[in-house]
Amino acid sequence: MTPFRLTIISPDGPEFEGNVEELIVRTTSGDLGILAGHANCVAPLGMGRATVVMDGKKRYGACIGGLLSMVDGKATLVATTFEWAEDIDPERAESSYQRAQQVLGSKDASDAEIALAQARLRRALVRKSVAGSK
Amino acid sequence: MAGVSTKEIKTRIRSMESTKQITKAMEMVAASKLRHAQARVINSRPYFETLYTTITDIVNSNSDFSSPYLTQRTGNKKLFVVIAGDRGLAGGYNSNILKLVYAQIEGAEATVLPIGRKAVDFFRSKGIPALTESYSDAADVSIGDCFSIAKLISKAYLKDEFDEIHIGYTNFVSVLSQTPATLQMLPLLHRPTEKPAQTEILYEPDSTEVFAAIVPEYLGGILYGALCESRAAEQAARRTAMESATQNAEDMIADLSLKFNQARQAAITQEITEIVAGS
Repeated sequence: MTPFRLTIISPDGPEFEGNVEELIVRTTSGDLGILAGHANCVAPLGMGRATVVMDGKKRYGACIGGLLSMVDGKATLVATTFEWAEDIDPERAESSYQRAQQVLGSKDASDAEIALAQARLRRALVRKSVAGSK
Repeated sequence: MAGVSTKEIKTRIRSMESTKQITKAMEMVAASKLRHAQARVINSRPYFETLYTTITDIVNSNSDFSSPYLTQRTGNKKLFVVIAGDRGLAGGYNSNILKLVYAQIEGAEATVLPIGRKAVDFFRSKGIPALTESYSDAADVSIGDCFSIAKLISKAYLKDEFDEIHIGYTNFVSVLSQTPATLQMLPLLHRPTEKPAQTEILYEPDSTEVFAAIVPEYLGGILYGALCESRAAEQAARRTAMESATQNAEDMIADLSLKFNQARQAAITQEITEIVAGS
């Protein structure tokens, strides 16, 4: 398949730059697949697994928030957090998941705490599922 | 020369030495913090720049202005997010950025969102209302806080509480040079490029919603980038200021030691003269 240029960048620095054959990301309105020659497009990212196909091999990453832009054949993934599946610490995700569950299970948590715990729970779930799919 | 007692000079030398020790220690602390801050700036800069150019590209090639983030408003209610330090003794770091922002605030109906104790104190003394003072510790503001601030200000903007939102921060140019700057965050500036956009951009699901989702993220990213720049600039400014303070202290000690030795020599000479004269 024809490759295209992909740049993945997060506040921690550049995560990836190179030619890929396919990119699938979770946008706020569902999964979006990008192949070479895709029309110019912009989409806000949700929380989920990003799949990059490079030399016929699939590579997964946990991608949370940010935006995807495809302009003039070049894709840029500006993510709020991005981690490759192999970099995810499954134990940390698991403990974060447990802590969030505890807060959500307790009766006297404030609204702000619940909102925080929900966000943490969602992040932990994404990380756990991505870490399992490497 | 005879008027100054050696004891007095000695006390001054000693006090100068303890001052020097303090400034030297502060210089070293700032240098080590600067290394961390510098590494962070270098890591986050590509993100900051890509985010900024991506958004500007999108805005410039956009022809649909239904999003409220893109409409220029006629009012004069401005919000300034100002990033300064928590502590002084950093050369002109705090006063430069505060002066720059204050010059822009004059004449406008302005509110500030100060980050850093120095900024909080400054605007409080000038009687400028603050949107919130909960971010008074610049050192404690995390990336999560940046995104909460972004949500807060974009919500306030959508409720028409402000017509323009600016950010004032300090650019970390190099270890020796830091320049204060302001940047308009909202509404997004539309600068049509020379070549009109021939290609339409596909928005998923539609442009208004894309902007509604992207803009708070964008603001958060810009805030985080500005914060990283400012923090590195602060440490760099402090290091330079403390370096020159240490240098000054050394010069003064050298000067005073010379005076001390002269006074001591004069006293000895005088004593000898007296003994010789008496015998």
